[in-house]
Amino acid sequence: MNERRDFLKQSGVGIGSIALTMMMQEEAAATNGALSALHHPPRAKRVIQLFMAGAASHIDLWDHKPMLDRHHGEPSDFGEPVEAFQNGLGPWMKSPFAFSPYGACGKPLSEVVAPLGECVDDIAFIHNMVGKTGVHSQATYLQTTGFQRPGFPGMGAWVSYALGAINRNLPTFVVLPDHRGYASNGPRNWAAAFLPASSQGTVIFPQRANPIADLQAHADFVTPEAHRDGLDLLNRMNRQYQQTRPGDSRLEARIQAYELAAQMQLSAPEALDISGEPEHILKMYGLDRAGSTWPDTINAPEETEYFGRKCLIARRLLERGVRFIQIWSGNDNGFPRRNWDSHEDLERDHGPLARGMAVGTAALLKDLKQRGLLEDTVVHWTTEFGRLPSSQRGRGRDHNPYVFTNWLCGGGVQGGITCGESDEWGYKPLDRSSPTQVYDVHATILHLLGIDHTRLTVRHDGIDRRLTDVHGHVLHDLLA
Amino acid sequence: MTVCDRLPAAPSCVFWFIAIAALQITGSLSADEAFLQDVAPIFEQKCVHCHSGSEPEGDLSLQTRSDLVDGGYIDTEAPADSVLLQILQPTDGRAEMPKDADPLSAKEIAAVRRWIERGAPWPDDVTLEASQVDDFDWWSWRPLKRPEVPSLQDPRIQTPIDQFILRALRERGLDFSEPADRRTLIRRVTFDLIGLPPTPEEVERFVADQDPRAWEKLVDRLLTSPHYGERQARRWLDVVRYADTHGYDKDKPRSNAWPYRDYVIRSFNEDRPYSRFVQEQIAGDVLFPGTPDGILGLGFLAAGPWDFIGHVEVPETKYDGMVARNLDRDEFVSGTFNTFCSVTVQCARCHNHKFDPITQEHYYGLQAIFAAVDRADRPWNIDSDTAQRREELTSRLTDLKKKDARLEDQIAERAGPELARIQKTIAALQAEMKVTQEPQFGYHTAFASRQDSEKWVEVALDDPVDIDRIVLRPCHDDFGGIGAGFGFPVRFRIEVRSDGTWHTVSDHTRTDFPNPGLRPVVVSAAGITGDRVRIVASRLADRRGVYIMALAELQVLRPDGTNAARGAAVTALDSIEAPVRWSRENLTDGRWPTAGTDEQAQQLEQALAARETLLQTDQIARLQEQQRSLRRSIQELQAELRALPPFRMVYAAATRFKKQGQFRPTLGQPRTIRVLQRGDVRRPQQAAVPGFFPLNENDAFRLPPDMPEGERRAALARWLTDPNHPLVWRSIVNRIWQSHFGTGIVATPNDFGRMGALPTHPELLDWLAVEFRDSGQSIRALHRMIVTSYVYRQTSAIREDAARTDRSNRFLWRMPRRRLEAEEIRDAMLAVSGALNRKQGGPGFHLFVLEKTEHSPHYEYHKFDPADPASHRRSIYRFIVRSQPHPWMTTLDCADSSQSTPQRSETLTSLQALSLLNNDFVLHMARLFAHRTERHADSLPEQVDRAVRLALQRSPTDAEHAAFLEYARRHGLQNLCRVLMNLSEFLYLD
Repeated sequence: MNERRDFLKQSGVGIGSIALTMMMQEEAAATNGALSALHHPPRAKRVIQLFMAGAASHIDLWDHKPMLDRHHGEPSDFGEPVEAFQNGLGPWMKSPFAFSPYGACGKPLSEVVAPLGECVDDIAFIHNMVGKTGVHSQATYLQTTGFQRPGFPGMGAWVSYALGAINRNLPTFVVLPDHRGYASNGPRNWAAAFLPASSQGTVIFPQRANPIADLQAHADFVTPEAHRDGLDLLNRMNRQYQQTRPGDSRLEARIQAYELAAQMQLSAPEALDISGEPEHILKMYGLDRAGSTWPDTINAPEETEYFGRKCLIARRLLERGVRFIQIWSGNDNGFPRRNWDSHEDLERDHGPLARGMAVGTAALLKDLKQRGLLEDTVVHWTTEFGRLPSSQRGRGRDHNPYVFTNWLCGGGVQGGITCGESDEWGYKPLDRSSPTQVYDVHATILHLLGIDHTRLTVRHDGIDRRLTDVHGHVLHDLLA
Repeated sequence: MTVCDRLPAAPSCVFWFIAIAALQITGSLSADEAFLQDVAPIFEQKCVHCHSGSEPEGDLSLQTRSDLVDGGYIDTEAPADSVLLQILQPTDGRAEMPKDADPLSAKEIAAVRRWIERGAPWPDDVTLEASQVDDFDWWSWRPLKRPEVPSLQDPRIQTPIDQFILRALRERGLDFSEPADRRTLIRRVTFDLIGLPPTPEEVERFVADQDPRAWEKLVDRLLTSPHYGERQARRWLDVVRYADTHGYDKDKPRSNAWPYRDYVIRSFNEDRPYSRFVQEQIAGDVLFPGTPDGILGLGFLAAGPWDFIGHVEVPETKYDGMVARNLDRDEFVSGTFNTFCSVTVQCARCHNHKFDPITQEHYYGLQAIFAAVDRADRPWNIDSDTAQRREELTSRLTDLKKKDARLEDQIAERAGPELARIQKTIAALQAEMKVTQEPQFGYHTAFASRQDSEKWVEVALDDPVDIDRIVLRPCHDDFGGIGAGFGFPVRFRIEVRSDGTWHTVSDHTRTDFPNPGLRPVVVSAAGITGDRVRIVASRLADRRGVYIMALAELQVLRPDGTNAARGAAVTALDSIEAPVRWSRENLTDGRWPTAGTDEQAQQLEQALAARETLLQTDQIARLQEQQRSLRRSIQELQAELRALPPFRMVYAAATRFKKQGQFRPTLGQPRTIRVLQRGDVRRPQQAAVPGFFPLNENDAFRLPPDMPEGERRAALARWLTDPNHPLVWRSIVNRIWQSHFGTGIVATPNDFGRMGALPTHPELLDWLAVEFRDSGQSIRALHRMIVTSYVYRQTSAIREDAARTDRSNRFLWRMPRRRLEAEEIRDAMLAVSGALNRKQGGPGFHLFVLEKTEHSPHYEYHKFDPADPASHRRSIYRFIVRSQPHPWMTTLDCADSSQSTPQRSETLTSLQALSLLNNDFVLHMARLFAHRTERHADSLPEQVDRAVRLALQRSPTDAEHAAFLEYARRHGLQNLCRVLMNLSEFLYLD
């Protein structure tokens, strides 16, 4: 179905009415992706991506390094010159958080992510992720779009483009940003770029008066009756316009778009309304303290409330057929700190951020599992890079693009394993000759969805673009 | 590979020439032949990129055989055990080599194995090179020639364009469609040329116009409308990635980007010849010095994204800094060549271009053209006269300063080596004596426009005091680089009131008082008893063009050294009163800036005195007199310079700018650019020589390696506007064509290479290019020719017979119907609702609330009130946030300023429907639209009629009128207006 998309991209070229007829049929069947058939049987249908903006430390959450406990305070020595982003090459610094083993696999986790201990047997950790740059913006682009510069579609946009909607009454790709605002690069992280605008992420701010922009009209004159009758009138007039211009299927598609819009106006508020959730579910997601106010600095109750709410809404959206959901923890790189970029005080920022994230994430994984949704949903935890095992000004950690952690969970992923280790300091991959890159993770997620990452391409400015550029290998060791 | 000859025959592979070349030199040995045919191309395509040159990856070069043998990679005794084969063999779809790429196919590995089995033959005279395309035989690289215009006889033909189009139609058994009606035509052409809807009155006039030249008159009116440039500029800015912020992290406002946007609008409105337009944007500063547009055009090079952190916070010596700068130069290169040549040169950043004849060496040669350039605010003069005057004055000033330096030398020479020693001491002391001061700077008069305005400030002592001496403490303020002695009066007197009578105790009103720096000026007043002390300035200090007096402290010391003025009341003729820095009270608060220790101050005092003594000879006095007169002239010149209209700033390509953190100007000194293996800054190869990519086999593409910065860009600007350039003229006429028909004659406007589309009408494209180039390069004339052609005036209705042959209408048997673009939709809503403010130019208006500007600005669209009339201007003037594009416009397929958008997409989504129905802007426009029609007519039926005519440029049919009226009766005009702006007919152009 590439022709259809190509056609849509070219304004006024002419009317590929055959293609459009097919589009209509597909839309009726609610399978409107660019791939006419999957490349292989899928293991999953949906994706949730959790993005920790500012660079979450691998060695303080997931990747325990006893060497740092032993050599804490000694001058750091990496055995080679290291380029730090700022000046974070102080003495070795052990994690301020205690680690203990969890699950049947005995995976050590930091106390600040302890709630995820119940889930580790479903999780596959990748501790040998390497980036390309220690600059937040470029590194964020690299993890979200596969390219370290602006102008490329986010992974969710690629998936929406390829697979289309499961339920056309809701957006295909939803983004739940940090409640404080956007992370580095803002909406460019989930942009459609050169893909059709319909594949871009739709932003939902659950705490705002209007969680989805333009979902409802906010004007005194637009009463429900005026709105309903207006849609009727529009339908009649647009139908008349269409009928006097035979052969132009865009005009029919417009009429349908308004019908879908009306349906979305009903479906979306219902999906976002968590008031009907039972007490024990709200409690599991940490949402039993509604109505609190928060201090200016990062604190665990606030993180729990906002991240947990996004996780619960994500589950509801997933149940109702949203294809791809991206959840953010952390705002941009400002002061006072409002994300994971803990240059000054790791314990102060990582502690509450991690506790909030872990409560919501653990609830989401358990909830998906008990509903049987985890079987065909991939959950991906990521960040732009890791943090150095040496200290910065005593209590902080500088950027470490040389190694960091991702994890995957859910449909088609083998749980309770680690694929790829970092070295004993958490400075670089243990095996420096075979690190894991974002391309490999992206290739693997597409693989789980039934897509061969080398075959999902779109011609743009003379180049056949794909999510994984010219790279990427499916991580077979990680597959169940 | 470098070998002797080339053979004609070609395998189907893109890299055919390599294989062919191989066959040629082989001679009789079939094993050699097999190597050259089957193995060498694999190495050249997959290996030699990295395994070549003086420092090959892994110390292994695959350019010749020797490393493979010496390194033990091939084992001809036991071929299957060869390390080379093990490295290439994939497991789980992944092989050790080629690194970070797909493994070789089984067939390719088999070829390598067979080659080793045959003893790994490799002819001595064959050196492999990374594969590259060197075939220039491609339509867009071929020389531009004027084709014959067909001479069809058909009454519908209006222009040569119609000749070409009709011929192509007839060749396919097709024909033109009927002409469109006048209402359709005026709506179509008005949006196309100025991006706004026609008014009902304009439609009526045109429909009723009996003049046979009615169409031409309409077209000319639109082409000379000031809105024409606004519409055309939007398309250009799409291509060049214009935005008002940097993009990336901490997306900071680029507050001086807009003068470039206005330059583009003006260039279209003035119909600037295209070559001039191109040249100004690449090297206007060099080719058209002294013209405002020569600087403003350079906004083109700076228009794209810029990584603030990668430049300001990371130095150029770190890898992250190198990456940021390499990508930044890539933006210059891709921006320039995608825009003007429609060639994807950026493909050659990591490897030779796989499809077009552009190598990595060419690519980095292009980077070298921009090696000294960065993006920054750059000053420009408001007009050429000012530029010229500034140039003259600056040049005279330089001369005088040179003369002054010569006099200084002569004085030094006369005074002997002792002076040099003292000067050195003074300089060293001054450097050591760091200024310390508190936030309270002192007292500061209001500004005077004339230097000889008189100002005074006065201290009232509590009681009459026996005064011993009066001390004036000068100020320090870095404003304008002034520093120590800021605002100290040039001429002044000090007066004391004694028994009600004022006495002058110190008079410096006849000669200029040398600026004391931070040294206290001490005046003896021994024996006087007084209760008021007043400083009267008769010649004020220069504060960069305005005149002031400023003093940090005034002390009135008793014989015992105590200060009687401490805390005393201060009055003055006027005061700037900008606490905490400046206020009257600061004059007696006991705070003043100091520099260095008392000891240092004393040493400095002594050194200065020693210098004075040394200079007390007649000869030197004469020289000093000359110098004083010279310095007066210098001051006058400086004053004149300051009186000129001030510099304005534009964000543009620049080599001189204010340093910001790690971001420092090159001052025109080109950086050394190296070819980067795989585009990796950690693998620099040989230095790149500035140059262009070749346009044919014989094209010399190199410039002299030491060519100065500006000359490089000037050479590029000339190359790009060479009449014989095969790409540039085709590229621009194709863009203009596309702006009318939705698709270009070449459907890939930024790519005329082998991966791009082929022209549907190659001869028409060439004819347009030559015609455009040779008759004034007028874009306006090109538009006129296109829209006065019959092909443009056809209806958009689909004829099923024609559709069967050419459903996608590539051959233009009808006019394509199109949806309005995001800006057109917004502007049309403003226009029909009567809210549109047609003001042109200036800084972009905001459609968001800007918060947290101190670190990472937040652009909060959801907090913006669309009723703000400042935002009711054409969309071209809106402030474009690169990282956070306007959500509503984005949903309507607005261009993404992070990438070049040569063609808007046109999508249809339910979110679009929600945006058009419910966005606060649309609802507010519905309100204003309703209000406008209510004012226009009294009765509801008339109001409905008026609203429809404004929105659709036609009267409603009776049935439509009835339906609209009924809805308006029930729900009001505002709701009707909301519906009208959602009609397909409102949003589509037939």
